[in-house]
This record gives sequence, structure tokens and C-alpha cells, in this order.
Amino acid sequence: MRTRFFYLSIYFITISSLLGVVISGQKENKTIQSSKEDHCYSCHKEIDNLPKDFSENDIHRHANISCSSCHGGDPTSDDQEVAMSPSKGFVGAPKHKDIPKFCGKCHSNINIMRVFQPRIATDQVEQYYTSMHGKKLLTGDENVAECASCHSAHAIFPAKDPRSTVYALNVPGTCNKCHGNSELMKKYNLPSNQLEEYSKSVHGVALLKMKDLGAPACNDCHGNHGAMPPGITSISHVCGTCHVSNMEYFSSTRMAKAFQEQDFHGCEQCHGNHTVLKPTDEMIGVGKDSKCVDCHSSGDEGYTVAKKIYSLLTNLKNQFSLADAKYLEVKKKGMNDIEIGFLLQDAKQALIQSRTLIHTFDSTKVGAKTKDGIEISNKASLLAQKEIDEYYTRRNGFAVATLVFLLVVIALYFKIKDKKKKTEK
Amino acid sequence: MKLDRRKFLNTLLGVGGIGGILAVFYPIISFLIPPKSAEPKVNSVKAGISAEFPTNSYKIIKFGRKPVILIKTEDNQYKALSASCTHLDCIVQYKSDTKQIWCACHNGIYDLNGRNVSGPPPRPLEEYDVKVIKEEIVITKMG
Repeated sequence: MRTRFFYLSIYFITISSLLGVVISGQKENKTIQSSKEDHCYSCHKEIDNLPKDFSENDIHRHANISCSSCHGGDPTSDDQEVAMSPSKGFVGAPKHKDIPKFCGKCHSNINIMRVFQPRIATDQVEQYYTSMHGKKLLTGDENVAECASCHSAHAIFPAKDPRSTVYALNVPGTCNKCHGNSELMKKYNLPSNQLEEYSKSVHGVALLKMKDLGAPACNDCHGNHGAMPPGITSISHVCGTCHVSNMEYFSSTRMAKAFQEQDFHGCEQCHGNHTVLKPTDEMIGVGKDSKCVDCHSSGDEGYTVAKKIYSLLTNLKNQFSLADAKYLEVKKKGMNDIEIGFLLQDAKQALIQSRTLIHTFDSTKVGAKTKDGIEISNKASLLAQKEIDEYYTRRNGFAVATLVFLLVVIALYFKIKDKKKKTEK
Repeated sequence: MKLDRRKFLNTLLGVGGIGGILAVFYPIISFLIPPKSAEPKVNSVKAGISAEFPTNSYKIIKFGRKPVILIKTEDNQYKALSASCTHLDCIVQYKSDTKQIWCACHNGIYDLNGRNVSGPPPRPLEEYDVKVIKEEIVITKMG
């Protein structure tokens, strides 16, 4: 009897909880009005008074979410007095400072959002208030970006849609709407040439010119809703999200600690921030383009190591270039270049790995890798030389054979002539 | 003098004849015993005997001019993908502990379907078709 009562209680509790969840979900969804019976849209369209940025393909409109879900009012009434009455909850356009909370009514509520996207994040508003934008907004700053500044108000598309203002290719332009405004940025003591700098960088060229969506846009380093300038300690982690080996090598060096002590900005110190250019071997060493000499001077350990690493790299680069030149000659001569190509790919890999190993600042580790690369390059060079020699052997052989045939023909001519003379006699 | 001329002509014909025979036969012999070289344009490549390929391991196959990584997964399935990392063309490897494809140059990681999962690779790896025909593994181009 006690067991039966126990099981009945469990069933009762489970069913009650499920009903509770369903009812609360329905209650939450009542805040979202369907656009199917939407007089807001039909009337505003009729009088040609739709918002300036309105798009028929807006994500909310596609999900049948009425204007009244955000602006309040009664969309079922075609009487303006009733539809836009404050008694019906009409709030109109929200104030700038209220926009994050306005969007957050739904976007911070998982019970509402999971209906549209089961895996959607609902912490955007929470993150926003930790960002510089959000913090300034709370102090009453009217200029800082809120949700609509980046996403637009009535032409919102999913971030993966190329029409979206926050689609990877569009992000730099979207941020630049404010960050490229020098008058506005002056107020915050910020530069306004980030987009110009970024466009020249290896990342900017990949994203904006080559349309490579794998390249980072502003938000990949600064964050989205919680956008902040990366701190000194986090810079190598920010870059390290993509450049993993470089970060791992650098983080375990003495240099990383020294950088922190000196308040140096990790990767940025040598590579820059928005203008990250394709690194050159001359950045290491002690030449005029070297970054090492910014801190190290002749006689100290760092100076010697930098000089050594540069020499190791240059040596490999030269051997690789030599082999590559021979490879091109083999290709040009139409000889068998396949095996040389494979060897050169390995040599190039050793060169790339040696360049990555620079971040260990350990000439022994770099030296071991460059040694591998030089060996492979030399092997490729030898093979290429063999093919080039083979080409000349074949060409000379052909010339000799032609000469031999020519002589045979001439000899035959005289032989036949002799024979004729003999028979005539 | 007449005799010398005839002798000269006969010698010339003899030497020339031998040279001519050599010049004809050398390309024939070269054709029959070709130098070791891979076929530049290939549509399929034999990659060894299935039973001799250990489970949860990989090897790099030369598919014409392109390196291809052939993986035998834990459940004895074959996967063949381009072995050139889409970042800077380094040759990728299979990590038997994490069951992922890894590029040693910049720590780029791909899943077993070739999708770029983390690190700098911007694109997935090109996939090849693998069939086992009479115990022999054959890799072919997709499509």
C-alpha cells in the first residue's frame, strides 16, 4: 500500500511539473503576437509609413512576430486609437537607454527563445552590460552602441546571412559606422582609423579582399556583445585562439613573463594590433627591421640568440629557394618534377615550422628544424639537378643521333653513286 | 685513293649503321624500362592491402601531384582526405588519441570528415572516395 502511494506521488509530481513547464511556456509566448493578423503592418504600409530600415525579410517578420510584440498595442484592431493605445500596452519606439532591456524581454528568456532556436544563447544582454558599450550606456551615454546600432532595428538577419549587418564580411563596416567617426571617437580618446589599418592587415586582406570567412573580423578578437579591448594578459590568448602553437610556445618562455612585468602587450608588441602584416624573417635578428633590437642590444643573450635564429632561418630559406629554382627549371623543361614537388612541400613545411618555433626564442629548437629542412631541400636540389642533367643528356643524344643518321645518309648516297659507276663500267 | 674512299665509306656506313640501330633501340628500351616516376594525372590510386593496414592509424599516399591522408578509423572505416592543410599547405597527420586530423605547423585541427574544427585552417579538407576491391584499398577522386 505504501509503495503504491509512493509511485502515485511520483507520477503526480512529474505530471504537475510538465504541465507547469508547458503552461509557463505558453504564458511567455503570449508576449509574442503573430504577424498574421497584424494591422500594424497593413496600416503602416498603406499610409507608406513603415520604418526607414524596414525589410520584408526581417527575421522577426519571417517568424510571424508582430510589431506589437516589441512595441506593444493591439495588432488585431484596425482602429489606430485602439491599436496604439497605452492601455493596450503600446510603448512606441523605445528610448536609446532602454533598448537592451527592450530586446532582452524575449532574447534573455530561454522559454521564449528555445521555441525558435533550441540552442540559442540568452545571455546577450547580460554580456552587453559587461562591455564598454553597456557600461557607458548605464552611465547615461547616448552615443554608445546598443543592440539596434549593430543589428539594425527592422532589417535583422541571422549572423550567417550575407544580408546581415553582423555577417562576417559586414562586421568591419558595421563597427566602423561609429568607430570610423573621428568626431565621435575624439570624445572617448579613441582613434578612428582602425578599419583603414585592419584593411591593410593580413586578416583584413583575407576577409575583405579574398572574402575568406575564416579570417577574423573585429568581433573575433574583441568579442560580440561583451566587446572590450583585450587586456595585456589576454592578448596572447586572443591571438592564440587561432594561432595555437605560437601562443603555446610563447607562453612557456621567459620572455612571456618579462613582457608581463614590463606591461608589454604579448603578440601585439612585435606584430601590431589592427595592422598585423604578413611577418617577415627580418623581424627577427639584429637588422634594421628587427623587432628584437627594440629591447636587446649588442652583447646581451637575447641579441646573440636573435642573430643566431635569423642566420638559421636564412640558411634554410636560401637552400629552399635554390631547390625551388631548380624545381621550376625541371618543370619548364618538361621533366619529371613530381617527387621534387613532394620533397619541396616537406621542406616548406620545415621552414614554416621553424618560423613558428621562433616563438620559443630557443636557437637549438629552431636549429633542429632548420637542419631537417636543409637536408630535404638538398635532396630535392640533387634530384632536380639529376633531372636537368637527364634533359641535357637526352638533348645531346638526340643531336648525336641526328648527326649519325645524316652521315649514314651521306655515306649511302656516295655508296650508291660508287655502285652505279661500277655497273656503268 | 679510290680504295681509301671506298674503305672510308664502308667504315662510315658501318659506324653509322650501328649508331642508327642504337638510336632506334634506345628509345624502345627506355619505353620498356621507364624511369621511376609517378603518374601526374591520376583518377585513382591503389593504397595497399586492407589487412596490412592497422586500425586507428594513417598513411600519406601520393595521389598524382597531391598528398592524400588515408585513415583507418577505430571501427575499421576508411577515410581519405587531401593531406595539404588549407592554411599554408603543410602535410596533416592523424592523431590516434583524439581521433582528429592535426596540422603540426600551426596546430590546425580537422574532424574525420575533414571539417576545420579549430586553429587557423580556413576551409575543410577535400574528401576522396575509398573502396576496398578484393582486399586492396583504392582511392578515387570524388564526383
